[in-house]
Order: sequence, then structure tokens, then C-alpha cells
Amino acid sequence: MAVRRKLIKERVPTPERPAEERIHDFKEVNLGYTFELAVKEAERCLQCPVNYAPCIKGCPVHINIPGFIGKLVEYRDDPDKAVKEALQVIWACNSLPATTGRVCPQEDQCEMNCVMGRVGDKINIGKLERFVADYAREKGIDEELLFEMVPKIEKKGQKVAIIGAGPAGLTAAGELAKLGYDVTIYEALHEPGGVLIYGIPEFRLPKSIVQSEIEKLKKLGVKILTDHIVGRTVTIEELLQEYDAVFIGSGAGTPRLINAPGINLNGIYTANEFLTRVNLMKAYKFPEYDTPVKVGKKVIVIGAGNTAMDAARSARRFGAEVIIAYRRGPEDVSARVEEVHHAKEEGVKFEFFLNPVEFIGDENGNVKAVKFEKMKALDERDKRGKRKIVGTGEYVTIEADTVIIAIGKHPNRLIINTPGLKVERGRIVVDENLMTSIPGVFAGGDAIRGEATVILAMGDGRRAAKAIHEYLTKKREGQNA
Amino acid sequence: MPYKILDKKELAPKHVMYKIEAPHVARKVQPGQFVIVRAFPNGERIPLTPVMWDREDGWIVLITFVRGKTTMRMANELKPGDPILNVAGPLGNPAPIEKFGRVLAVGLSAGIVEVFPIAKALQEAGNDVTTLHVAPAPMAILKDEFRENVSRHIFEGFEIQEGWRTKEIVAEIARRGAEKVKELLSEENFDFVLTVGPAGAQKAVFNVVKEFGIPMHADLHPIMVDGTGMCGACRVMVGGEVKFACIDGPGFDAYKVDWDELIHRVGFYTDLERKALEEYLKSLRGE
Repeated sequence: MAVRRKLIKERVPTPERPAEERIHDFKEVNLGYTFELAVKEAERCLQCPVNYAPCIKGCPVHINIPGFIGKLVEYRDDPDKAVKEALQVIWACNSLPATTGRVCPQEDQCEMNCVMGRVGDKINIGKLERFVADYAREKGIDEELLFEMVPKIEKKGQKVAIIGAGPAGLTAAGELAKLGYDVTIYEALHEPGGVLIYGIPEFRLPKSIVQSEIEKLKKLGVKILTDHIVGRTVTIEELLQEYDAVFIGSGAGTPRLINAPGINLNGIYTANEFLTRVNLMKAYKFPEYDTPVKVGKKVIVIGAGNTAMDAARSARRFGAEVIIAYRRGPEDVSARVEEVHHAKEEGVKFEFFLNPVEFIGDENGNVKAVKFEKMKALDERDKRGKRKIVGTGEYVTIEADTVIIAIGKHPNRLIINTPGLKVERGRIVVDENLMTSIPGVFAGGDAIRGEATVILAMGDGRRAAKAIHEYLTKKREGQNA
Repeated sequence: MPYKILDKKELAPKHVMYKIEAPHVARKVQPGQFVIVRAFPNGERIPLTPVMWDREDGWIVLITFVRGKTTMRMANELKPGDPILNVAGPLGNPAPIEKFGRVLAVGLSAGIVEVFPIAKALQEAGNDVTTLHVAPAPMAILKDEFRENVSRHIFEGFEIQEGWRTKEIVAEIARRGAEKVKELLSEENFDFVLTVGPAGAQKAVFNVVKEFGIPMHADLHPIMVDGTGMCGACRVMVGGEVKFACIDGPGFDAYKVDWDELIHRVGFYTDLERKALEEYLKSLRGE
């Protein structure tokens, strides 16, 4: 490795399907690297030492990024070995790399601090992570690694219940299973995956990939009970009688609505309903799949986060004209750069400084237009660093036969009604170890954050697993003493 | 996680009973709560009400009213011993089981199946319960079960006229329901009224009950997808606030419900539902 390599400033691009082709289906947009391309990109990495590497610091789960990238270069003559070694490095911190490689906002995390960025393009860390996961899955290398790993796990004889099979819950489950705990996940929907399944469209994260990541957890011994709604089917008190610890990863499931006249007109969807119909229930295959969805000719999506992009791009695939209406300006769009770029390529139009004040219906109770107040930005900034906005008193009405509200979510209400569970502004309150006000009950992800990203939820899952391990180790030792 | 069908029977035209192994629901369910069922890999999630259950043996009884593709597929394709892919629940809040005094519980059409566990529990709680079932004559179901469990059961049946479609039948249910409730409330004193059934018919009954000023509880059936408060499809306006029927309901104070909005919202997918059903019927005919 002492060979001094020439700096290659330009990023090796990943192939993408052209916009005009992809707006007619739900298949994946980005095609990912081949081994050759991945090695070419990996070679650009400067291999910063682990204790310095700014990319690792930017990663919420602290994957040894130079470590896994280095393996691809080191074993470039043996692709299977290269991927196996790289995957092992990733798995030490992250059990769901095929997912995070696709949906993490790398530009704001690992890639943000990449030293290569000072002289050229930053390393394409996300796509390299995705490549390792995909190649390993296709060649059965992940199975091989699991097969070697599972017999070495020492059983602890303690049980942990996880509430919610989304990113936080799945990560916590994986980590705890690796540590030898008997883990059971309680999931309300019929399929595990949480937001990865109901929220993120197939063209960004294929369901088969989430399913295969979940299969791996099952091979680690994680049990998943679908159709079990904690708060109804079973309560947290009851779980505590059966399990030694509980982790709440119930997410932010409750959609926020706009308090404006006409919000319940037909044709107005919450992003959750729209995306659940399309993703989880496969409404784009109606009537082959039984769940319908109605997408009109003119769709307005309100909001400008990743969920709004997902909803807008999904609506485009039904052939609609789609406008994203956001009450702030372009610099405050919270969606990932890549998603905004893809949305624009696919013909989604953006309208800024429009705040919905009324939904206008026709004589049958169907929405036909949205009335917006035009907004303007002030120089002053709010707590989140966004420019404050005020109404101008001027209004504009835009026709729409479908409206999708994507302005955010609140944590699930069924869980937060648990007696003794401290909650502030709808969010579960936790201490520095992610323990809630109920001893032995931990929480993470959107249930404590309100609404954040997949990787932050996974970071919480990992931290919580560590804290639960410490808690249960003490409990074990206490019992043995 | 499939759930085995222990028994299946047609109780009346379009009314199919399924006894299903679902211990997690049987253990917890209360009158007024529901489950979400997904029967097939390409199926939809539909809310249904456990009508009876056995906590120890771990089964529940569901009765479907064959109306769209899913309920028809279930009737055609499922046999005892087969699995139902998903039974999630129990969901929703239990109905108010208090001492009201004299209760009139009205099941409009297939709404009667949901009335059963609530009426039974109200009777057990010391109320004097009259149940009223309004439906086309051949659809008199659960008569014996009601008679064994409540003070009085009235079946108000009618003949379906030639050429009537669903719309006319529902209108007749609304008309007859309102008329019969008016008759009962005029002749006797009731302290509490409860209804379950199509929104239009519930509204017709509510308009009568309102004249008498009697407290009324309505179990609503808006369109639902997940049933856990996540999607917001089932939102209804209650007392000027947006409520989600799945986690805030399904029962609400009938005086506070925006009935017209509810009626609009439940009809949103009628055309697509009809299309799905027609395609399915065509496939059955081998077209």
C-alpha cells in the first residue's frame, strides 16, 4: 500500500436509467456500480487514518469507511474476497448497508467532510456501500458470513422486545441478536420494514432488498411478530413481564395535517396514505393488486422533504403533471440533493413561497384547486437556521385534482399513551442512554426525534442496543451475585 | 404469520362467517374494536369486526358482507383449513359499556354483526337492550344469538324490488331504519341509541334520534388502510376537529359527526371498487 497513487479528481459515476424511461415504471433509478467501477472509485480514496478520517465522524453509526473501501482495492484481483472483507467491516457497525447505501443523505454526513472534496469530487461512499451489499447478496457472500458468525454467538439467556420493525428497531434487533440476546420484534403492519416498506418507493429502495436484509436478521435468530400493535394487542406493561428490556422504535407514523378549510375533501391524501397505497399495497398494479389509488391529471404535493419528493415522483409515474408547492424558498428544501435532482429530471415542477390556506372542492366533495398565500422570506433566521417567512396578503389559486400533504409527521399516538411514559410535545423523553422514564424501556428513532432520517434512527438503534446490553449485563450480574 | 380458518359458513345471502385462529386478538379484543384482515398476497387490508371470540381457545368469528372484490374472493377462494395471511388487532377503542338504562342498538344491514358484541356487553352491564336489525328479508342473521343475549330483538326486513341496485337497497335501509326508530322512540323511552351501518342510513337514523334528543353513539366505517393511525385515510370531522376513526374511534358521539362529509369520503373509490369487482367476475367466467 506504500505505492503513491495519482489523484483522480473526478468521481466515477454510477449508471442511471434515463428519466424518460423511468417515469413509466417503478423500477430502480440508479443501477449501481459494477466491481470494476467500484474499484476505480475506491482507488480515489485517500485512505485517511481511522482516528482522523472525517468521513467516519460524519457517519451516525461510525462505519470504518476507509477500512471497507480499502478492502476493495486491496483484494481487487479477487472480487468475492474483496467484498467479503469489506462487508465484514461494514457489518461491525451497520446491518443494513443495502438500505443505507441507497437512502442515507451521504452529502450531509460521511461525504460532507471527505478530504478529496478539497481537490476534486468527494468519494462516492454511499454507492460503494451499496455496491458491497448488493454484490454480497447476489453472490451469497452475506449468507456465508452469517453462517460463520451465528455459531460463535454466545447466548445470554435474556429476552428483549422491540416495538416496530423500522430502521431503528431492525438495527437494535440485529445488534442485540449478535450479542446473544433472544430478540422479538412486534410489528403492526403485515410486513416488517416500517418506513422502508410503506414510505420509500420501489424506484429508490426496492422492497426485495429490504426483505433480504430482514431475512438476514431472522438468520441471526430475531423473531418478528407482524400484526401485533403495541398499545392494543399487547401493552408495554405486559411486555415487561415477559422480557428483560423493551426498545421502542415505533417511528413517527402520525401524519401532520394542514389546519385549513377543505382538508377532508376527496382527493386530498396524506403522504403516508398515498405512499402506503402505492408502496406497501402496490396500488400501481391495480387491479392485479386489490388496493386502489386515485391520481388525477394535476397533482400538487405540499412540502419539500424527501417524503414530498417520493410522493411527487410516484405521482409522475401515474402520468400526472406534478407541482411541489413549498412555503419557503429553494435554499430551505430539506430533501436530499439527489432526490430533488431526480424529481426535476422526471418533470416535477417546483413552486416556492406558497402557503396553502384553503382547499377548494367541487359539488361532489372532490378537491379541484388549492388557494395559497404568497410568502416572502425575511433576513432573520429561526432556530433551525431557516429564514423566517411572512405572508404577503397576496393569494394565488392553482388547480389540482389530487393533493398530497407531505409536511411532516408526529410520533405514533398509541405508544405514547402508555401510563408512566414521559412524553414532551408528542415525543418520548429519554436520558443519555436512550432509557425512557420507565426502567428497562428504551426508545430511539423518530419516536424520540419527531422526524429525522433512516440513518439517525439506525444510529439510535445501535446506541440503544449498546445501552440495553449494559443494562442487561448489570441485571445478569446482579442476579448472579 | 397465517391464521387458520377453523370454520366457514354462509349465514345468509352475501353474509359469510369465518371462525379464525387468532389468539393474539382473542386474548384482548373488546366489544366495538375491530381487526384488519389481509387475505391474499395481492389483497387489500380491510377492517372487520370480531363478532364472537374465545379468549382461552384463541379464536375469533368474523362475518363479512360480500360487497367488493376482496370479500367476494374470500367467499369464493377460502376453505376451512386455509390460512388468512394477516389478522391485525385488536384495533380501535372499545365501545362505551356503561349503565345507560334502556338502550336501542340499531344494526343497519350488515352493521348488525358489529352490534352483537356491544349489545351483549351492554345487556350484561345491566342495561335493558333492544336490538333492531334492518335488512332485506333473507338477510336475517344472528336472530337466535340476539334473542339469547338481549331483552328484545326486532328484525325489520323488506323485499328487494325488481331492478333495485345497491343504491336503492341502501336507501330503503335508511328509510325503514329511520321509520322504525321513530316508531320505537315515540312509543317507549330510551336512554341511549347506538348505530352501526352505512353512513347514509346512520345519518337518517340520527336525524330521527336528534328530534328526541337522546344521546347517540355511532360506529363509523370510513375508508381505512393501516388502522393504526398512520395513514389518515379514515379521517372524519367530529366536533369541528379532524379525528382518525381507527385510533380515535371507531365510535363517536353522533351529534358531533359531520355526516355529509363522511358520506362523501366513503364513496371516493366506488368506481374503482366496481371495476375491480367486474374484472374479477370476468376472470371467474374465464374471459
